[in-house]
Amino acid sequence: MTGGRLHPFTLLAIAGALPALAWILPAPRGGAATAAVLTAAPFWLFLLLLHDVPTTIAIGLRITTMVASFVWLVAALQPARLVEAMVAAGWSASVAYLLAATLSAVPVLKARARRIVDAQRCRGLSPRGGIAARLRALRALALPLVLSALHEVDERALALETRGLVPGIRRTPLAPPPDPAVEQAARWALLLACLFALFRRFL
Amino acid sequence: MSIRLLALIPVAAAISLALSAVVDAVALPLFLDTTGTILATALAGPTVGVATGVVTSAVNTLRNPTFWPFVVVQIIVALYAWVAARAGLFRSFRTAVPAGLGLGVIASVTSTPISYLVFGCTTTGGIALTTALGKALGLPPLGACFFGSFVSDFGDKAVTFALVTSVLHALPRRTAARFPWALRAIGAA
Repeated sequence: MTGGRLHPFTLLAIAGALPALAWILPAPRGGAATAAVLTAAPFWLFLLLLHDVPTTIAIGLRITTMVASFVWLVAALQPARLVEAMVAAGWSASVAYLLAATLSAVPVLKARARRIVDAQRCRGLSPRGGIAARLRALRALALPLVLSALHEVDERALALETRGLVPGIRRTPLAPPPDPAVEQAARWALLLACLFALFRRFL
Repeated sequence: MSIRLLALIPVAAAISLALSAVVDAVALPLFLDTTGTILATALAGPTVGVATGVVTSAVNTLRNPTFWPFVVVQIIVALYAWVAARAGLFRSFRTAVPAGLGLGVIASVTSTPISYLVFGCTTTGGIALTTALGKALGLPPLGACFFGSFVSDFGDKAVTFALVTSVLHALPRRTAARFPWALRAIGAA
């Protein structure tokens, strides 16, 4: 059984800490919990289709843990605070810009894609029929979207230059989130715990 | 890296993620989630392409964390697209589509071990169903997993290469000339 080589006290500590944290930490709000369940549910269905029950439970629990942790992260993390924290930690402002700009550009382009679909339908484009017809429709819908997005690159470059986001120049964060020593120690402890588990598992 | 190339990365990553709305409209079994990576590489070279692939995976991960392990596939796609751009394979559909089919094979070979070991081959509904079909055909588990990935990636990457070729040829020459690799990718330089 996995974990059998660990010291009995370690086993007791892990078994005690996990349920304790599950009860002590605030329960997820409805939206995040629903999102986690809806994201993880199809995996369980497909796992059951492809594997036996023990394998389904083993892989399904791992995937559910992965999904739940990221859904919680997205619900709790404010992109603006992340950018400030990255700049304060000495990361290049360009890296922070890449994440923040992509996060804000995706909904804008998706909305534009829906408008293009509606506009092309008004002009008589049918996205139905055989594969060749659908591929032609795909080209007629995707091309305006991609070209219009590429034409924005110059505007964005000009805006970045105006704001002084030139590579190699350090910026000063306006309101960096406080980073207490306890949280820093906790982060290192988590990283070391993962490395230790990896070492014990494979070596 | 120049400011223009820096500004290209989030735009290209957002293109990859926003094309799902177009794919939904035509109801084809495609992802097109590497379009931005291939386009950025063909326009601006491997560094911008790899950065676009990594940013695409990172942002996609916030929507669905199962995408993160596949960041390796995005990097390989960018490197392959760079080789294709250097060879001018985006000059026509006749050269781009076979190059896309080749990428489909490489992408499925790369994604199969990740999908098999981490997710038990259940990354998306379509892949899970084709994997189940492979299993029903008597393939071993890893073979069925490769079959699922191959069926989805083979056509997807060919269509993606064709779409990027269309975009590169539709770009005005003056706009294309502002990006270091665009003209070479379409065989015009």
